[in-house]
Amino acid sequence: MPMIDREDSLSPAGALSMLILRVLQSEPLHGYAIAQRIHLLSSEVLAVEEGFLYPTLQKLLRKGWVEARWGISETNRKVRFYRLTPQGKTQLNHELSSYGRSTEAIQEVLRTA
Amino acid sequence: MGELFRRIHYLIHRRRLDAELQNDIEFHREMAARAERKDFGNTLRMREQAYEAWGWTWLDRLLQDLRYGMRILVRAPGFTVLAVLVLAIGIGANVSAFSLFDMVALKPLPVPDADRIVRLERRSPTSYTSEMAYPSFLFYREHARTLSAAMAVLGVPPMQIDDDQQLSSASFVTPNYFTELGTRAAYGRLFDPTSDGPANAAPAVVLSYGFWQRRFGGDASVVGRVIHLNGKPVTIVGITSFEFASLGGQHPDLWLPMAQQPYFIQRSAILKDWTNSSVRMWGKLAPGVSASAAGEELRSLTDQLRRQHPEAVWDGEFMQISPGGHLQVMQPQMFQVAEMIAVLSLLILLVSCANVGGLMLARAVTRQHEISIRMAIGAGRWRIFRQLCTESLVLGSLGSVAALGLSWVVIRIALVKFDAPKWLSAKPDWRVLLFTIGMAVAATLFFGLMPALQIARQRQQKTIARQILVAAQIAASCVLLIVAALLVRATLHTLYTDPGFGYEQLVSIDPGLGHHGYSPTAASNYLEQMQTRLSMVPGVKEVSLVKLPPMGHVVSNWTTEIRGRKVTVYPNWVAPDFFHTMGIPLRLGRTFRRGDKHIVIVSQEFARRQWPGENPLGQTVGDGTSKDTVIGVVGDAHINALSDDDALEQYWPAQPEDMPDMVLIVRSAGDAGSLAVAEKALAKGLDAAIFPEIRQLKVLYRDNVEQIENVAAIVTLVGLIAISLAAIGLVGLVAFVVTQRTKEIAIRMALGARPAAVLTAVLQQFRWPLIVGLATGTALAAFGSRFLRVALYGVNNLDPASYTAALALLAGIAALAMLLPAARTLRLNIAAILHHD
Repeated sequence: MPMIDREDSLSPAGALSMLILRVLQSEPLHGYAIAQRIHLLSSEVLAVEEGFLYPTLQKLLRKGWVEARWGISETNRKVRFYRLTPQGKTQLNHELSSYGRSTEAIQEVLRTA
Repeated sequence: MGELFRRIHYLIHRRRLDAELQNDIEFHREMAARAERKDFGNTLRMREQAYEAWGWTWLDRLLQDLRYGMRILVRAPGFTVLAVLVLAIGIGANVSAFSLFDMVALKPLPVPDADRIVRLERRSPTSYTSEMAYPSFLFYREHARTLSAAMAVLGVPPMQIDDDQQLSSASFVTPNYFTELGTRAAYGRLFDPTSDGPANAAPAVVLSYGFWQRRFGGDASVVGRVIHLNGKPVTIVGITSFEFASLGGQHPDLWLPMAQQPYFIQRSAILKDWTNSSVRMWGKLAPGVSASAAGEELRSLTDQLRRQHPEAVWDGEFMQISPGGHLQVMQPQMFQVAEMIAVLSLLILLVSCANVGGLMLARAVTRQHEISIRMAIGAGRWRIFRQLCTESLVLGSLGSVAALGLSWVVIRIALVKFDAPKWLSAKPDWRVLLFTIGMAVAATLFFGLMPALQIARQRQQKTIARQILVAAQIAASCVLLIVAALLVRATLHTLYTDPGFGYEQLVSIDPGLGHHGYSPTAASNYLEQMQTRLSMVPGVKEVSLVKLPPMGHVVSNWTTEIRGRKVTVYPNWVAPDFFHTMGIPLRLGRTFRRGDKHIVIVSQEFARRQWPGENPLGQTVGDGTSKDTVIGVVGDAHINALSDDDALEQYWPAQPEDMPDMVLIVRSAGDAGSLAVAEKALAKGLDAAIFPEIRQLKVLYRDNVEQIENVAAIVTLVGLIAISLAAIGLVGLVAFVVTQRTKEIAIRMALGARPAAVLTAVLQQFRWPLIVGLATGTALAAFGSRFLRVALYGVNNLDPASYTAALALLAGIAALAMLLPAARTLRLNIAAILHHD
């Protein structure tokens, strides 16, 4: 099974989907902007490889959580902008709650064991 | 669901979307370059991964494999052509067999509502007949509400048109026969209930298309002409169409309305006789009614009928309903035959698949190089396996397409040879196509799986798979050959066994007095006069009487047990000089005398079985009230069961009440056929209303034999095909093995080894498969041939002569197949081989 298809939100592959969806919740962005925003918002801890980003974006496209539209970039170049769909929004909430539960559970164990 | 649509959308617009992705990535690169990041990955790999996200990689790989497979096959034309040919034969045999079965039992007649047509027959726990009395038919038709229509067909002896020498076959049918079948006339009109229903309607006859062509030269003006049938004037009202589909696959030359039967067959009371089962009944289920519901209603109607007319109904009788909308109404024995043929076809498939499998394995050794390279570059074993399977699929598909073509040719030939109804065509219908696809998949699995596994695991050098395939081929061919040998032996036995009576010079004359309303005294008179007059015709040596004539239309027998063994007894009622006229030798005692009662004459075999070692004369046969004493023993004469060696006969003296049913037997000094004219004239002179059916026993015997010969010929052909396939396979395999080891052989010979020793070394690997194959094949044949007992008259299913012949032939051909290629190598120029390195 390709790594992109992993569904759990704790692995890098699963987390990236969630991060992309969250980032796109504010506004539609093109691929480079998505990578930049994640990088900056995480205080440069997370660096998204483009070799990872685009396949994940394709998966999101396939699942219908994200759709692509043509737009003009800051540098006046025609490029595709990705935006969140309603199903994507539902999926984002779903993944957020799942992630929250997992993290809480892990922290419990670490704290009390 | 939405996801699937998105995926399909992606598949269709792949190129454009891929270009858009490329654009995105390039843009990303530009922006990253501005920010002076130097992480350049491999674009192509990225796009590949992106593509993988859409889940269509399997399709790509499949197409890739298919293209590669086709290239490989084209590059090795010899192998491909041979493999496709072998597969075509194997699959083609099965497809042909299924096509025939489809035509006979599965394809619906091309008439409206064919699925609602049913056949009704009388059945009870102890008896069975396929016909019923006409008044009973009328009764059921009147009262059955689950049947929307009912049709009856009455078969009669051939009738004479005008002054023709040759008689024409005829059937009487109820006037709704053609209307229910929705048949259209080629010319004129066909029967309908209003015009041809009443008994006093104008006499009408419908000609069949083929007969119209043959007898009337396709002249359209015959419609409306008056001809004479058995002396009675009748108008030709129409001609059936070329593709007319009749019920039950019957094709009489003439069709006549049922109500007019008494007109043509004078003084016949069949239509009113409750006890004479003479008509075949067909019906159409009412819309929405199931066969079982109809069966229920008919059951209650049968009980009703029994109360009103107890003479027309047996105890415990019920109507058996079978689907009638196909060419043949399937009887249980027919299913048995179909199963046997299916097994034999599968054996041929096994031989051809094992053949191709072996060829593939042999080729695998040459492809070792290619496959190692692919594995070195990174192809997983699973990938190689999949690709090999795809290649096999290509071969399988090509083979099945060729098989379809082959079977089309075979069916065309069969349709012509067996004079099949014209509405049948050799074109495969959806059932046959589906079956062919299934066969292709099955065949591909058979021949492709094992080699693919072997190659993928890089175990080509091990010969065990090859040996198994060879053994399988030999075993299957063995079974086929043994079966063929048994059947051929049975045929020869039937052909050259003395049937026990002199059929060469006998003629049977059936006046059908009972059908013309003759009383026993009148019949007795008629027969006596006929006998006297016939004896005076020059060329006639003897005349006698019998109730169930040899090879006649009616066969009667019962099964019983004698000392624990089941036997079939054929009874008959004869005049005293019957045995002498028929040429049946009298072994013990005497023949009947006038006025004898409660006596019986038995056949030799019966006496031997019933009273071994004792004197049969004076013993009694029968039980309870009807005990008859044996006064004579005659030689075996299976006049109504030619091929059944185990048949036993019993003869009773003909009593006065039997007279209307008796048939004359005439023995001629020379050729029996030349007396036909004289016999007919005599009959006409006595009673112009009687048209006796005159049949030469010689002709009937030959027809019977021809059928058996045909079956044996087909089976032999099948056996020879199997053995050719096996031989081809072996030759190919051995030639290949030898080529592989040419260098080794050359070295050995150069060092002084004798040819025999070298041959043994090379062919060693085939020794065990051959032995195991022959042994398994023989065992399977011995086991399976038990089910062939029905067809193996006079031959034990373990007949040593057949088994030995088949095994010798197979072993001989196998040995030849192995030695020829090997021997060729030994004669090659050793120096040249060694130099060529």
